[in-house]
Amino acid sequence: MSTILTEIPEIKLENIEMRYQTESADVLALHKVSLDIAKGEFVSLLGPSGCGKTTLLRLMADLIEPTGGNITVAGKSAREARLAQKYGIVFQSPVLYDWRKVKDNITLPLELMGTKKSVREDKALELLELVGLQGFADKYPWQLSGGMQQRVAIARALSMEPEILLMDEPFSALDEFTRERLNEELLSVWSKVQNTIVFVTHSIPESIFLSDRVFVLSPHPGRLSSVVDIPLPRPRTAEMRNSPQFFELIARIRDSFEGV
Amino acid sequence: MRSRLLPLFVWIFGFLLLWEVGSWLLLNVAETPLAQSKLPYVHEVMGTLWQYKGTLFKEGGATFGSAGVGFLLGASAGIVLAILMSISKIVEKLTFPYAIASQMIPILGLAPIIYGIVRDDQISRIIISGYITFFPVSLNMLRGLRSVDLSALELMHSYAAKPWAVYWKLRLPAALPGLFSGLKIAAPLAVTGAILVELMGAQHGIGVIMLRNLYYGPSHTYMFWSTVIVGALLGIVSYWLMSLVERAVAPWQPEFRPKGGSR
Repeated sequence: MSTILTEIPEIKLENIEMRYQTESADVLALHKVSLDIAKGEFVSLLGPSGCGKTTLLRLMADLIEPTGGNITVAGKSAREARLAQKYGIVFQSPVLYDWRKVKDNITLPLELMGTKKSVREDKALELLELVGLQGFADKYPWQLSGGMQQRVAIARALSMEPEILLMDEPFSALDEFTRERLNEELLSVWSKVQNTIVFVTHSIPESIFLSDRVFVLSPHPGRLSSVVDIPLPRPRTAEMRNSPQFFELIARIRDSFEGV
Repeated sequence: MRSRLLPLFVWIFGFLLLWEVGSWLLLNVAETPLAQSKLPYVHEVMGTLWQYKGTLFKEGGATFGSAGVGFLLGASAGIVLAILMSISKIVEKLTFPYAIASQMIPILGLAPIIYGIVRDDQISRIIISGYITFFPVSLNMLRGLRSVDLSALELMHSYAAKPWAVYWKLRLPAALPGLFSGLKIAAPLAVTGAILVELMGAQHGIGVIMLRNLYYGPSHTYMFWSTVIVGALLGIVSYWLMSLVERAVAPWQPEFRPKGGSR
């Protein structure tokens, strides 16, 4: 950890503040959040509902702008990073386009970048294999289960080989068994792609299993309450979920929540 | 397939049988004056339909042709306006109230005005059909364009997609279900509109022989009923054509998915 932190951070947040104006009140959604994420790091933003973790992710993605503070992505603004197509995003729901076959959903970002059709077809097949959906290229999204749809969404986010993958509770709508399997699959995909991943979740075990570091956020106002290093070796295996070290980490993170 | 068609045939046959019996009762039991004008024998109407199939087909074709041209023009205008309104609030504010107001004008009154201006029954039919088509298409298309899911738009945004790409690859395909519901409402209306213009005087069209046979009185009852049936068929065919196009263009919609296969 110490070695990568000496490099220029891939994502740097400084004193991020986010205020919403509602009819009745002035809501402070995020208060003075500062954090660094290194290149190639897998981090989680963990917290209960209302802690602003999704807002934080959307700020990094330049889907919204902060009311205060600074975001830099590889030395540039979040907006520049978005326009340079550095981001792949996976939302809570798969957000697949109904009128596109699976392969055309996956290569939508490449299509937008003007990549040739033959290249796109090859890439789609390659990604389908990566996420374990061989043979589904010509299906339509509604012919797939929820877990399969989310895997398609991940493949789509990876299609343009983004430097940064932003994931907003991608598995929260799935059952526990599917979620754990997809966690393992995500890590195996990441070990091949080696990009930076920011993963939003409200599940403590999920954040521990996946991440190098967990940013623990607390609500009212949303703020960073602690950063927990996860020293579990990689590659992570399903058995690690039952190790004493894993349970210790769960307890430590649970204790670090403030004001919940 | 067989299980779906069988009830339909039973239904149609039962309906025609009831009609025939009703007609017979009206004529022979109730001995109503002008009984055949009120409810003619089905077999007589069928016979007339068959006997004059050439004329009916030709005149029906003339009506359908002008209604079709008007429909295409009206639908195109409706689509273009919907896109403009979805791009610009100003365009919407400027045009939408007038689009609604235009629909308050009774067609029955508008048709002779249009005819008085253009002095051509062919062009009048096209204009009226287009005018009727325009509004439901525009309204439903606009709704479709607006119905796009926020995350679907954010996805485009996150890939830094150009505005035209957002329209071409997201908004327009997402608007297709709305567009087609508009087209399916408008298509039979366009046919009705064309017939209405013909009733006010034209050279050709199903409405022309409909009116003529109505004037001739009881001796032409069967022919009059035949023209009414042809008029209805034209409407049904127009709707059916739109459904067919919809299935070809946007087959991915939930209603076209096989039952039990979706999750």
